Amino acid sequence: MRISHLGAPVAVAGSALAVACGSGGTTASTSHEADASSPPTVLAAASLTKVFPQIEASAKYTFGGSGALETDIEQGAPADVFAAASPKQPAQLYAKGLVDKPLEFATNTLVLIVPSDNPAHISSVSDITKPGVKLVICNATVPCGDYARTAFKNLGITAAAMKNVVSQTTDVTQTVAEVALGQADAGFVYITDAKAAAGKVKVIHLPAKAKPGAKDFIAVVKSGSHQAAAKAFVATVLSPAGQAKLEAAGFGKP
Amino acid sequence: MRSPGLERAALAVGTALLIAVVLAFLLLPIVALITYQPLHELIDGFGAKVATDAILVSLKTNAIAFALTIALGTPFAYALARSRFRGRSVVITIVELPLVLPPAVAGLGLLAAFGRVGLLGHTLSVLGIDLAFTEAAVVLAILFVASPFYLRGAIAAFGALDPTLLDVAGTLGAGPVRRLVRVAVPLAASGLGAAAALAFARGVGEFGATILFAGSFQGTTQTLPLAVYSLFDANLDQAIAIGVLLIIVSAAILLTAKLLASAWTSSRTSPSRGERSIFVSS
Repeated sequence: MRISHLGAPVAVAGSALAVACGSGGTTASTSHEADASSPPTVLAAASLTKVFPQIEASAKYTFGGSGALETDIEQGAPADVFAAASPKQPAQLYAKGLVDKPLEFATNTLVLIVPSDNPAHISSVSDITKPGVKLVICNATVPCGDYARTAFKNLGITAAAMKNVVSQTTDVTQTVAEVALGQADAGFVYITDAKAAAGKVKVIHLPAKAKPGAKDFIAVVKSGSHQAAAKAFVATVLSPAGQAKLEAAGFGKP
Repeated sequence: MRSPGLERAALAVGTALLIAVVLAFLLLPIVALITYQPLHELIDGFGAKVATDAILVSLKTNAIAFALTIALGTPFAYALARSRFRGRSVVITIVELPLVLPPAVAGLGLLAAFGRVGLLGHTLSVLGIDLAFTEAAVVLAILFVASPFYLRGAIAAFGALDPTLLDVAGTLGAGPVRRLVRVAVPLAASGLGAAAALAFARGVGEFGATILFAGSFQGTTQTLPLAVYSLFDANLDQAIAIGVLLIIVSAAILLTAKLLASAWTSSRTSPSRGERSIFVSS
């Protein structure tokens, strides 16, 4: 971390951008008081936007791409808990000594979604390589983009599929929005996001051999000023009640 | 009893301090970006493929949007400045609306109007036009957000001209097109130039409307600001290098605009029409 004094502005700018782009985030305030009773600040993957507030309503959330949130924490953004849609980003922060050991708290499933009127007549994953299909995926640095590329590789369609990619987003909710709006013909998102956008998008499941194993990891941020609240938050997510909420939203068991 | 000399000194110190604090606040982020990485890494960052691709996309889309703004906006602004009709102030307010609209809202509006399922989406698709994720969508976003800066400045520049000069040109036999091209535009040139520079700067910096309406893809729709956003989580050094590039471009445009604006102030033919410069003249 080279410019720790600049961390907060950069992080705030990042979050502001994420909000401006419709990732639906609630930007947390940047209180530094070490008050045990005050709620923790949680930086969480965009795919957790709906379910986390159901599990714990009182926490202060910022939702965004796991990659951008990782950068925020590296740059010293005030955060108590980091929840990512992949083991990768928490593991990188753990290796740098910035978070406690990450714990797996859920699994997710990558699916293909198309607008409900399906203008490009896509009925299976192999149809996304048809010429002219407008495909949207996440950036490679965001788990949803990483998983989509793994799925292409598993199916052996990387070149043809990447040729049809017309836009790359910085978090999964933007990919959902492009498809739900009908701007894109298809996009790769998590089943949980598809469920949240039910009615606007149709889900096409990937063949078992193509599915990347999407795992969600959570960790307490070491520099956070609400350590007790952070640990309590993680415990709540891992508790039977938390797991039931995750399951209801379409997540799988860790 | 306090001495007036002491009071004056305190005021001077206070003013100097205030100026220093304000300047430091405004300059610090720019200095921090420029000094974030060693100079050779910064310069390497300028030449990276993602940067050069973004430069090309930014150049192409802004050049088209700028040409359209000047070609259509100049006669529009001239007509509006020269005519008086009921509802004129409504027209001017409509022109000014995008100036105060949050860019993200502009992007949503463009989606709702020109998106594939937007108001004109069906009409466009019948005509075989699909704007989604194309360079044309980037151009529309820039046009919507940036052209009002030119329109507004151009209306003011034409409005400040002495109408008798144009009337004389008319009695000497110049038609309306000739009067605009040969008389009004040269007379208002520096004002038009300043407005054009401002619109160009806004267009180069356009972000919110573009990412919502046109998406982001390297080499097609990813302009320089979009590349900064996309690289924020992937490669901060590279994102900052592109940011510095944008600072250089913006500073150059601002300087041009300032020079043109001061030329305008000193060469105005009709000072009685009032100061309308959009910049503080130095």
